[in-house]
Amino acid sequence: MASSDERPYSISIPDSELDFLKKKLELTRFPDELEGAAWNYGAPLSDIKRLVGHWQDGYDWRKSEAALNTLPMFTRDIEVEGFGTLNIHYVHQKSDVAGAIPLLFAHGWPGSFLEVRKLLPLLSAGGPDHPSFHVVAPSLPGFGFSEAPSKPGFKGPQYAEVLNKLMLALGYEEYVYQGGDWGYALGKYVVTNYGHRHVKAWHTNMPLPGAPSLFKNPLLYLGMFFLSYDETSMKRLANMKRHRTKGTGYFNEQATKPQTIGYSLADSPVGLLSWIYEKLVSWTDEYPWTDDEVIEWISVYWLSRAGPAASTRIYHELTGGMTHDTDQGTVWTSVPLGVSYFPKEIFQLPKSWSHTLGNLVFESDHDKGGHFAAFEQPEAIAGDLRKMFGKGGPAHGVVPGKGGY
Amino acid sequence: MAAATSTEESFKLAIPDADLELLRKKLDLVRLPDELDGAEWDYGVPLDDVKRLVAHWQEKFDWRKSEAKINELPMFTRDIEVEGFGTLNAHYVHQRSEVDNAIPLLFVHGWPGHFLEVRKILPLLTAKSPDHPSFHVVAPSLPGFGFSGAIKKTGFKGPQYAEFLNKLMISLGYNEYVYQGGDWGHILGLQAVTHYGHKHIKAWHSNMPLPGARPSPVKNPLIFLSTVLSAFSQEGRANMQRAQQFAQQGTGYSKMQSTKPQTLAYGLTDSPVGLLAWIYEKLVIWSDKYPWGDDEVLEWVSIYWFSRAGPGAAGRIYYEMANGGTGNALDGNVWQSVPLGISYFPGEVVRLPRSWSHLIGKLVFEGEHEKGGHFAAHEAPEGLVGDLRKMYGKGGPAYGVVPGKDGYSA
Repeated sequence: MASSDERPYSISIPDSELDFLKKKLELTRFPDELEGAAWNYGAPLSDIKRLVGHWQDGYDWRKSEAALNTLPMFTRDIEVEGFGTLNIHYVHQKSDVAGAIPLLFAHGWPGSFLEVRKLLPLLSAGGPDHPSFHVVAPSLPGFGFSEAPSKPGFKGPQYAEVLNKLMLALGYEEYVYQGGDWGYALGKYVVTNYGHRHVKAWHTNMPLPGAPSLFKNPLLYLGMFFLSYDETSMKRLANMKRHRTKGTGYFNEQATKPQTIGYSLADSPVGLLSWIYEKLVSWTDEYPWTDDEVIEWISVYWLSRAGPAASTRIYHELTGGMTHDTDQGTVWTSVPLGVSYFPKEIFQLPKSWSHTLGNLVFESDHDKGGHFAAFEQPEAIAGDLRKMFGKGGPAHGVVPGKGGY
Repeated sequence: MAAATSTEESFKLAIPDADLELLRKKLDLVRLPDELDGAEWDYGVPLDDVKRLVAHWQEKFDWRKSEAKINELPMFTRDIEVEGFGTLNAHYVHQRSEVDNAIPLLFVHGWPGHFLEVRKILPLLTAKSPDHPSFHVVAPSLPGFGFSGAIKKTGFKGPQYAEFLNKLMISLGYNEYVYQGGDWGHILGLQAVTHYGHKHIKAWHSNMPLPGARPSPVKNPLIFLSTVLSAFSQEGRANMQRAQQFAQQGTGYSKMQSTKPQTLAYGLTDSPVGLLAWIYEKLVIWSDKYPWGDDEVLEWVSIYWFSRAGPGAAGRIYYEMANGGTGNALDGNVWQSVPLGISYFPGEVVRLPRSWSHLIGKLVFEGEHEKGGHFAAHEAPEGLVGDLRKMYGKGGPAYGVVPGKDGYSA
């Protein structure tokens, strides 16, 4: 049931902000580029020049804003132990189906609540042939239109606390969870801390298992030595290695010096644009981004409540400044887990290793789609969730009294 | 041998008013991030430092004053052909000593350094005295840095930098010379000595000794053993811990620049405060509590902001030298028999066991210091020059390496 803290939310960026941005864009100074660099050195100059031009002349933030404001958005205060109150922004789409399954959708970086947009109508739609969901999609603290924590130490358990408290505040004592990127990593904390009691099942499109360990996964562990991996697994490992070698500079910088890179991201529209756009293209499966789509995506960062620099701090907090893994303190649980594999996901490990993440009850393979699966392949994600939670599915009825029909 | 060729021109910095105006406008529109309470240096450059520096940049720092002082240095440009890359215009400081037979010395900067790092050592190196050798000093801006021309194509690697540097010295009439560098200056020194050692480079010196590979128990048994033993000394352990910490937590800039320098370039080229933070972080963390003045910092950053190729170009050296992040910039270097001198400064970022210096080359000189960090020529000019004088002076291990140019008046 709604608490008195909940307020309907409309994005309303002041004119002065938009004027300021316009002035900055007018002063853009571009670097040169090496001949034949293509995408090898980072985002190409011609793409960035075109996008900046579009940002100045073609893109209409007010149009984006108006369309976003047709989404059912709200804010409410969430208390976080040791961190006071954070005002959290979220989309809350209820289904017409009373017994719909409450689902929490968590984004990552450089994602946002925008990623739920295409899933909303699919997940909340009623129908005899598939389950329906009530969908809650927040802006994580420090992203989009949520407040950011103001002190160091806001780690996995704190994010999980925010997410769980949000669902409880909305009257969803028991719910299911979906996420990729940080949405996946935070999912491990949510499930570790609130699994079974509140989180009845979870699903991810970016499984990031550690290697099997002798004690925890003896069969998988031994398999590493005595069984050769099939071609698919080898290819996945090779892709992973390539990403690790050539694609994780941003991760390292954000995990060690988020404030330093934050100055560029806060002050330079083109700096922020290129930092994010590079991932939008290289992490997707040839998704046909329109310039409007890209600029809208970047704008959510540029115009975010806490500013773009705040969004990078999650890397530092969740890795201890690059001194430990992002899942430190999480455990394997028997909470049912579903995984969807997309061919262009950046993290690709042998599928058998997904068993190290949790009680794997559902797996699905796709021919198309990358890191931003909910945005690139909404039908695929929705389809997988329907299969996993629908009648006859491995997680049907996990939320008592809310079978989705 | 005639020194001057037809393309040499005297060089004076003259940044156009329009460039200063654009910078002023950008600073007026600066948008700063917030900061976590009590963050200090844990998350990167503290907000207070940046606020103070930005205010100083807007209100107090006088680029024209800096420019005029820099223009007192003897600076030139000339065209250098680099095979496969056409003509690159080299900017350099060239200060001859009044001692005719002074030793020609090439001083090579690194990142985020630049040619001005030679400033404090210039008068010391060229000074005449019966008690120590003198040097003719050449200090270029590396291609893509400072006021040298930009590299236009991909693939400009170690051999190309070495070719550029060697051709510069030869074009100035210095067929035989010695080399000094730290940071990329050290790594490029390895390249230069590999290709032009003995024939042109008679000896070299580094203040950032990093070998091409770790000692192997088979090939370097004594060094390997000495390394194992050094783990038992407090200093050895502290250095190893520091090196590990750097590798784990201090290399974000390098991972970015060696994999996606173009992505990074947009913010550094467009945002003065972005560039300031990116560089200032290293000026502080990599120096030995050097008391940077605000004018000093801003002048340093301005060399990047106003650089000929733009601030985004400099980072590409990381990409080219490390094969787009798939390799290591030091890969493939083998021991060289050209005499080598090393200076150890306590604040240097990575301090490996001193025995590893023998893996780099024929070590003939070592100097240890109590103070000074990564930017040795700037932080500890007397210390660095003192070592060079000992190394090359009468009675020193590299005395007279350049035939006919022992550094003393006849």
